[in-house]
Amino acid sequence: MSHQQPKPLSDLHPGDEAQVFQVLAQGRIRQRLLEMGFIRGAHLKVEKLAPLGDPMELVIKGYHLSLRREESQCILVSEED
Amino acid sequence: MTLTLALAGNPNCGKTTIFNALTGSHQHVGNWPGVTVERRSGFFPGPDGPVEVVDLPGTYSLSAQSEDERIAARFVADPAVDVIVNVLDASNLERNLYLTTQLLELRRPVVYALNMMDDAEKDGLKIDLPALEKLLGGPVIPTVGNREEGVQALREAILKVAKDPGSAPGGSVNYGHDLENELVKIEREIHRDEELARACPPRWLALQLLERAPAAAGPVELSHARKAITAQVQASLDFLEPHMGADGATLVAERRYGFSHGLVGEVLIRSLRTRMDLTARLDTVLTHRWLGIPIFIAIMIAVYSLTFVVGKIPQDWIAGGFNLLHAWAGDRLPPGELTSLLVDGIIPGVGAVVVFVPIIMLLMGCIAFLEDTGYMARAAFIMDRLMHLMGLHGKSFIPLIMGTGCNVPAVQATRTIEAREDRFITILVAPLMSCSARLQIYILIAGTFFRPVQAAFAILAMHFLGFALAMAMGKLLRLTLFRGANAPFVMELPPYRLPVLKSTLIHMWEKGSVFLSRAGTTILAGATLIWFLSHYPGISNRSWSEELHRQEAAVRTLNLAPAEETSRLDDLAMAHQSRVVNTSLAANIGKALQPALAPILDPDRSRPEAWKDSIALTAGFVAKEIVVSTMAVIHHTEAGDQVSDGGAGGLRAALRSRSGLTPLTALAFMVFTLIYTPCLGTVGMILKETRSLLWTGFSVVYGLGLAWLMAWFTILGGHALGFA
Repeated sequence: MSHQQPKPLSDLHPGDEAQVFQVLAQGRIRQRLLEMGFIRGAHLKVEKLAPLGDPMELVIKGYHLSLRREESQCILVSEED
Repeated sequence: MTLTLALAGNPNCGKTTIFNALTGSHQHVGNWPGVTVERRSGFFPGPDGPVEVVDLPGTYSLSAQSEDERIAARFVADPAVDVIVNVLDASNLERNLYLTTQLLELRRPVVYALNMMDDAEKDGLKIDLPALEKLLGGPVIPTVGNREEGVQALREAILKVAKDPGSAPGGSVNYGHDLENELVKIEREIHRDEELARACPPRWLALQLLERAPAAAGPVELSHARKAITAQVQASLDFLEPHMGADGATLVAERRYGFSHGLVGEVLIRSLRTRMDLTARLDTVLTHRWLGIPIFIAIMIAVYSLTFVVGKIPQDWIAGGFNLLHAWAGDRLPPGELTSLLVDGIIPGVGAVVVFVPIIMLLMGCIAFLEDTGYMARAAFIMDRLMHLMGLHGKSFIPLIMGTGCNVPAVQATRTIEAREDRFITILVAPLMSCSARLQIYILIAGTFFRPVQAAFAILAMHFLGFALAMAMGKLLRLTLFRGANAPFVMELPPYRLPVLKSTLIHMWEKGSVFLSRAGTTILAGATLIWFLSHYPGISNRSWSEELHRQEAAVRTLNLAPAEETSRLDDLAMAHQSRVVNTSLAANIGKALQPALAPILDPDRSRPEAWKDSIALTAGFVAKEIVVSTMAVIHHTEAGDQVSDGGAGGLRAALRSRSGLTPLTALAFMVFTLIYTPCLGTVGMILKETRSLLWTGFSVVYGLGLAWLMAWFTILGGHALGFA
């Protein structure tokens, strides 16, 4: 498994898997993302995009979650091949 | 002695079914003090008196970032709570335990309901209960809430722990050497203020301070030890953050998830059998790139038809019943002011309230069904992009669409939107959606003043205008009054589940009865006020009523054919009513307001009867369709067969010949009625849902302002295009 340069979660495509590297968001959104399981090293998989292209559905900590682009671009992940 | 339980858990963990199973039908719905969040409580009999169960809002954490979390965090820390019942979704244990790590810090007796055990078993999960009990330090009862399994055992465990709190010592989360050291230092500073240490468990407070939780700042700010505490917190963060490479909030969350991950690793035995996940299969279709939207539209059509087409049947019965009662009371009671209050004020007023109950219950039932199945989150997922453009949330779409049927249940349907700001914006723009009551006004006005094809276009245009204005106002409100308060859109897509009929029925019943008791009183009071304004002082004018009696007696002596006689009598009654209304307080107000309305409804000052518009509009505040029957009264024609016959009924002829409206001012009138204010039923509901006179008043005032402006633009545009 080779880890590449961290990139925003919003750049991932359906089917991609990654590990959380860092949450860049601040304040309320940061706290919420941490609580929902976006901690360093957490494994996630992008499931799909909504029919209109946003938000994104992903699986983290064994449950399904949807995030808007606004939030997903504030999360840096390292993609897993 | 009564016991108090707090039921805490994540959203979608089946907390409500556990609550229903624990309390049966002994429930009470209220609001938490000062906020719009529902407070559900109930009780079950215990050996020493009733045991009160308080259902907290479902939250992922106690960090007090949202209204729901603040309520939950405050209540679980309340000394009045004897036992906390933490409901956990066994099929999603790791994330559910995050909240548990926070509850453990409160050092209070906790009983765990390990719910959805059936789902976990179907997933091929086995849970080592004794190990889980040991690690959590409290009894763990496996339950299946929707089949009421394990509920008796849960009650017994709760009572046992209440009697002997020592039997649930509570596990503890180890935050690791560095954090624990700093926590001890901060706790030491907190202990300088004994009062603060008593009010907040010091370790819990210290953790929140390390997380920089805004909720923790409040109590510390009031303490005399605040300088020492703040200095220590700063010193700890200055040491920890560079040393461990992340900020306090991340460090704490990582340790909590570490605890929960480790715990799950120890108690969860995953069998080899993996099932083909039902949720995954359903989602490949229901949120499919191409199929997702058509399916969503089909579901919306089904919900809409069930609510407004099927719901119309009992609505018609209710309306018919009240009409009968109205006629019966009108015939039996001696004519006079009290009779009029009862017959023209209270009976139609109560009718106007009760008539909403079927559609409210049906729509709330549908929404509860969509929520409980898990589809509501998918609906929001599918529509969020479009709604977000308008400054709204994906979950705002359903209330807005339902608003085209009736605004009253639409406002109530905003309850599904978690974030307060998103909910309030949706409540404020929902009344702009053109409802079916307004359609009756358009049909009358457009049918009278436009050619058929034009009329159809005008009516359609009203609906589009309503939707466009809702979009524009949503965006505007987001950019102005609700600026900066953008709640994160981090929404769980829970597994699909079969809802429990009992829960849905309880929910429908609650919504219907709460509407009657809360919004109903506002609506009835408003209807009575409007009756007063539109009947006084004329109704107490003795000589007018005597004149009516003399004329009626004279008609009766003519020995006409019965049909002819009834029609002549109705004519007389209508003339009398017209006289009363046209001299009423409402008419005086109308005349006084005329200059304000003149630019939009009488731009050429050519309509001597323009002041009558405001009587109809005032009366239409009770319910918009009343504009039609009021116009019949003020322009004095038969109201009976005006709208549905489609031909040139009496009212249409009268409007054409007497009202002085031109096609352009008629269009402005339609625009104005679309927007001018939410009807009384909607206002009652807005008051109930916002619990704020300020926001309710705002919805009326901005409606009036916007209506005036849009009608004025209509006139200006019409003139610019060369229409008179």
